[in-house]
Amino acid sequence: MMWKDKYSIGIELIDEQHKELFKRVSDFLQTVESKDSWEDKLEKVKETMSFMQEYVIVHFDDEEAYQAQIGYPEIENHKIAHHKFKEGINDYVKIFEKEGFNEEKIQEFGGKLMAWLIMHVGKMDQMIGEYAKSKGGEA
Amino acid sequence: MKAEYVNSFYKATKDVFKLMVGIDPQKKDLRVIEDMVSSKDASVVLGVTGDLKGTILFGFPKDMTLEMIRIMSGMEMDRIDSFASSALGEVANIISGNAMTLLAENNYACDIVPPQIFIGQYKSFTMASERALQLILTTPIGEFDINISLKERQV
Repeated sequence: MMWKDKYSIGIELIDEQHKELFKRVSDFLQTVESKDSWEDKLEKVKETMSFMQEYVIVHFDDEEAYQAQIGYPEIENHKIAHHKFKEGINDYVKIFEKEGFNEEKIQEFGGKLMAWLIMHVGKMDQMIGEYAKSKGGEA
Repeated sequence: MKAEYVNSFYKATKDVFKLMVGIDPQKKDLRVIEDMVSSKDASVVLGVTGDLKGTILFGFPKDMTLEMIRIMSGMEMDRIDSFASSALGEVANIISGNAMTLLAENNYACDIVPPQIFIGQYKSFTMASERALQLILTTPIGEFDINISLKERQV
């Protein structure tokens, strides 16, 4: 389990989406690191890749809409961070499209995805929660 | 080499460790070394370009690396595979990125070159007889080092 309570930012919609993201990434890593044969893992890997591509966009859009709604002053910097995050995923999507899925590259992607997610939610997103609180709790 | 280079990395390391693994590393020693050699099980090497030029080498022991991965992922592992080495490389990359932001506040505009990760390979990364500073950090899960060799660009 990757999720830790300290990652909560105190805004229900965003926290629920974060928990879903962490759960999916956690499941994905467990699959990637399991002793099952590569053929057995491949389905789950493909499924996670397409889920991540879709869900990350939905989540980032929702989060940006919330930031706009509360007048979050750091929204432009946050959008840049979201853009970089999506680019990071897309770089691997391109590699997999070109070279096919191979175990080592998938593991490499898993390591980065985990670090990006923890860093983004654990640091940047915390500041949204702090701002919302300073404005009087959940908007 | 100036103290602010080392301080930027020290502060960035503490911040990122606290956030990602819930540990606050403490400075144990800072010394000048003649050779930048990876002597730990896992090494992450990053290049720095811009106003400062040089190399940063992070060295982590195996047990500490695996414990960091366990804290972050919740998974017990017994070897540093591509997943673990990639995650470790990314942690070092994030630390170095934050250190660059701190250096920018001191008017050094620098970029980092993406990390290379070496597992179980003890090799030298010394650049043309440049001395380096070695910062040794202790944590409850092990001791690691950051070797910093940076030079100001000749104007």
